[in-house]
Amino acid sequence: MRIGGHIFMALSALVLAMPIVVVCAAALNGGRSMFFPPRDATLARFGEFFVSEPVWTNALTNSVIVAFGAATLAVLIAWPVAYLLWSTGSKLSKALAGLGSLPFAVPPIVIGVGLGFFWSFTGGLGHIWSGVISHAILLMALPLVTISTGLQSIDRAHLDAAATMGATERIAFRTVVLPQTMPYTISGFFFVLVLSFNEFIVIFFVSASAYSTVTLQIFNSLRNGYTPTMAVAAITFLTVSILVFAAVARWGDLPRLMGAEQSKK
Amino acid sequence: MTIADDIKMAPAAPKTPAKGVTPKAALYAVLSAVMAVFCIVPFILVIVISFGRKVDGAGWVWAFTFDNYQRFFVGILWPDEVTFLYLQQLGYSFYFAIIASVLAVLTALPFTLLLTRLKRRTQAIWLVFILASLSMSEVFIVMGWDILLSNNSGLPKLFQVTGLTQWLKDVGWFQILREMGLANPRNVKFKPSEFATILTMSYLVWPYAVILLYPALSRLDPSLSEAARTMGAGRWTITRTVTLPSIRLPLMGTTLLLFVFLLGSYVSISVFATPDKQTTAVAIYSNIRGSNLDAPFGSAQAVILLISASVCLYFGHLLNSKAEAR
Amino acid sequence: MPDLILSGVSKSFGSTRAVEATDLTFAQGQLTALLGPSGCGKTTLLRMIAGLEDPTRGTIRLGDEDITGLPAHKRKFGMVFQSFALFPHYSVRENVAYSLIIGGMAKPEALDKAQTLLDTVQLSKFGDRRIGELSGGQRQRVAIARALAQEPQVFLLDEPMSALDAKLREEMQVELRLLQQRLGITTIVVTHDQREAMTMADTIVVMSNGRVEQVAPPKEIYHKPANAFVADFIGKANFFDGVYRKDGVEIGEQAVHVPANFAAGSPVRLAIRPESACLVTEPGQNCIDAQISFVRDLGPVREYHLRTDIGPLIVEYAGTDGMERVAGDKTLVHLPVEALRVYPRAVA
Repeated sequence: MRIGGHIFMALSALVLAMPIVVVCAAALNGGRSMFFPPRDATLARFGEFFVSEPVWTNALTNSVIVAFGAATLAVLIAWPVAYLLWSTGSKLSKALAGLGSLPFAVPPIVIGVGLGFFWSFTGGLGHIWSGVISHAILLMALPLVTISTGLQSIDRAHLDAAATMGATERIAFRTVVLPQTMPYTISGFFFVLVLSFNEFIVIFFVSASAYSTVTLQIFNSLRNGYTPTMAVAAITFLTVSILVFAAVARWGDLPRLMGAEQSKK
Repeated sequence: MTIADDIKMAPAAPKTPAKGVTPKAALYAVLSAVMAVFCIVPFILVIVISFGRKVDGAGWVWAFTFDNYQRFFVGILWPDEVTFLYLQQLGYSFYFAIIASVLAVLTALPFTLLLTRLKRRTQAIWLVFILASLSMSEVFIVMGWDILLSNNSGLPKLFQVTGLTQWLKDVGWFQILREMGLANPRNVKFKPSEFATILTMSYLVWPYAVILLYPALSRLDPSLSEAARTMGAGRWTITRTVTLPSIRLPLMGTTLLLFVFLLGSYVSISVFATPDKQTTAVAIYSNIRGSNLDAPFGSAQAVILLISASVCLYFGHLLNSKAEAR
Repeated sequence: MPDLILSGVSKSFGSTRAVEATDLTFAQGQLTALLGPSGCGKTTLLRMIAGLEDPTRGTIRLGDEDITGLPAHKRKFGMVFQSFALFPHYSVRENVAYSLIIGGMAKPEALDKAQTLLDTVQLSKFGDRRIGELSGGQRQRVAIARALAQEPQVFLLDEPMSALDAKLREEMQVELRLLQQRLGITTIVVTHDQREAMTMADTIVVMSNGRVEQVAPPKEIYHKPANAFVADFIGKANFFDGVYRKDGVEIGEQAVHVPANFAAGSPVRLAIRPESACLVTEPGQNCIDAQISFVRDLGPVREYHLRTDIGPLIVEYAGTDGMERVAGDKTLVHLPVEALRVYPRAVA
């Protein structure tokens, strides 16, 4: 049974890795078309993606702007909501948190269509800033959850202790709440960063083909067939994801963030 | 970060806030406005536009007509002529989403169970791997499977080179594959097909299934199954009588959430499904951004998809709160 | 430093009454222990004194000053928490200096003073450590130093020993008591451990169900418990329910001679400590027939479990009389008049 379990886990990992590995290997192709296993292996495609092809470098820049902008904005909106929810637990704060999670809970195509209409009426359609806001709205559910987890993990006795030592609510917030929830805030930021990088449907509707991110560019190229440069994009994204989550695992408590019971270890 | 740094940022002790507008009330007002504008208005727009009317060659105008819904359920020419094309599309949305989500949960369950029994450090490494694959864009995943399943490279090629195709022909199973649409006269052929669609969709949500099941499974009390073991229960009996009953509700909740997520999936279906099995999500896309340019009808379809999703989410929420209550 | 005076202080959470109206005076420089089983309201009372909970009714005064409405951060009573509540994101020295720095003292000066306090609690070399690197005992010393840094008028400790192991606990009790006497600071300790209360306190306040049952020095609490609850909670006691007759208590058929101030016929509860009763061979006043049902040797004492006409009874015997009694033996048990206590009994 033990052995069987290990084999099952290994098999799952294999299937999980298979298409990713294939995409990554395809990036090494020397020619213009995708082959697996790759032919005339070369690293020239990396140069195209990062440096020489404006289509891809522009798309990459847009992706980076949208992802970092959305992550910052999402954390800035999620913080006060999570804090109100934690400190007051009022009905209004619960409603706000519920609304904040709504865009993430419905099928993405619906919120994509809705935001597309919204920006076409407010004049934001096709501007990159509206893409930033749209992703922040779509993904703020993630920092909302991680920051709430962080706030709940604060020992209330720490706040009492700060009070008995003369700390007002504001000072206690700066000296106890903020430092102790920092890892959770950063985790939330990174979750948004990675998911925004990879998001496709919503950005598709709000960009209105005026600009493209890397995922959009790949989708647009689907009709013309795959090129190995697209695979380079995949490798880049995968690397970023792994680095980010490894960082979260290293400096935060990933199992706890994912909802495992807190352990003292 | 040192304490002194934190303090320096702290302003002087606040005076008691004026009676009128406290900072907290102001914060509430701002946040409520933000949420209302960005999280409610888009949905309202979709609903309102779904009652609008398409104008030939000029987009659409505001209106209040049920034409779009009538068209969805029975076709525009009703009652003279009835077509269930759009209902059928919704049917395929459900069909693909149900099979793919159930498949994902069934395979993710034993995996997650095994995962929670590992050391916490090892769990974290696995979680990094799972999260990385979870965050991979649908576009990349479809690309990967597309290469893997394509005829001139990937698995069919592998089948041919290793002689597996010949072997299948010899045993006679090749004929069955042909009847299922998974082979052409010369070799196996995996796309386009339902098989490829469901495989990709399942793959897409599999990491989500693990992440959603993880909290419930990692909180399972190991002493319960140990108690069962001291009473002479075998591993399978423990799973059947102790483990499964205690996670029945999160299991169903997870399946529902994945199902809702898959209802809106677009890329895998547009690439892998045969043209006669396209779904509502694809139709929404082609109405709003594609060639049809019929935003009101696309909106109506989105509303119907939203309602289907909400109903499922509501049941999922009921199940989850029931599970929490226990 | 003035006395701390509570008048009519009570606390309700919703419809449940956590603390009944309480009048207490904590004399300056004294150590008072709030002692009681869990859920008796002692921690709530302490939190009201600290300013962390608002009393539902009543006033709290420090000398002549009414501090009832003063929030915790203005009272600045130093408090040691059950979990110690040390900040993991600051070093040991920064934890101790916390109250000084947020109080506006310059950082180098505050850290110097924190170092002096660490010297006092024998942690001179630990200033730069993280909280996670300390043992339980060290954490407690840091928590004490941190609470004392602001030179509070009242020093509060909520179950300060419960996170320590048994041996360390005894040492720390003595150490804390010596420190408190040296500083002469008004101190209130919440505990459920009667040994801890008796080791440290000048005065013990016994509480149950939100009510103060008795306020007295440790010796008096033990030897003259005010009621059956205190007698039972502090140390061990044998109880017998009976009815008061002239000069004695009637328990079933058996009369026990003990003069007390009760009306004849009133229901009473008779109590005696196990070490006050003794086994005898000669009949006499208050000597009752008994049969030994169980004997156990606990080292310093031997314990006899007896069956008697008035009910089961435990006798503790320290020392050796050479009489090896075993289970099943018949004997006499003597209940000395001066060791018996009579309490009123509520009739169900």
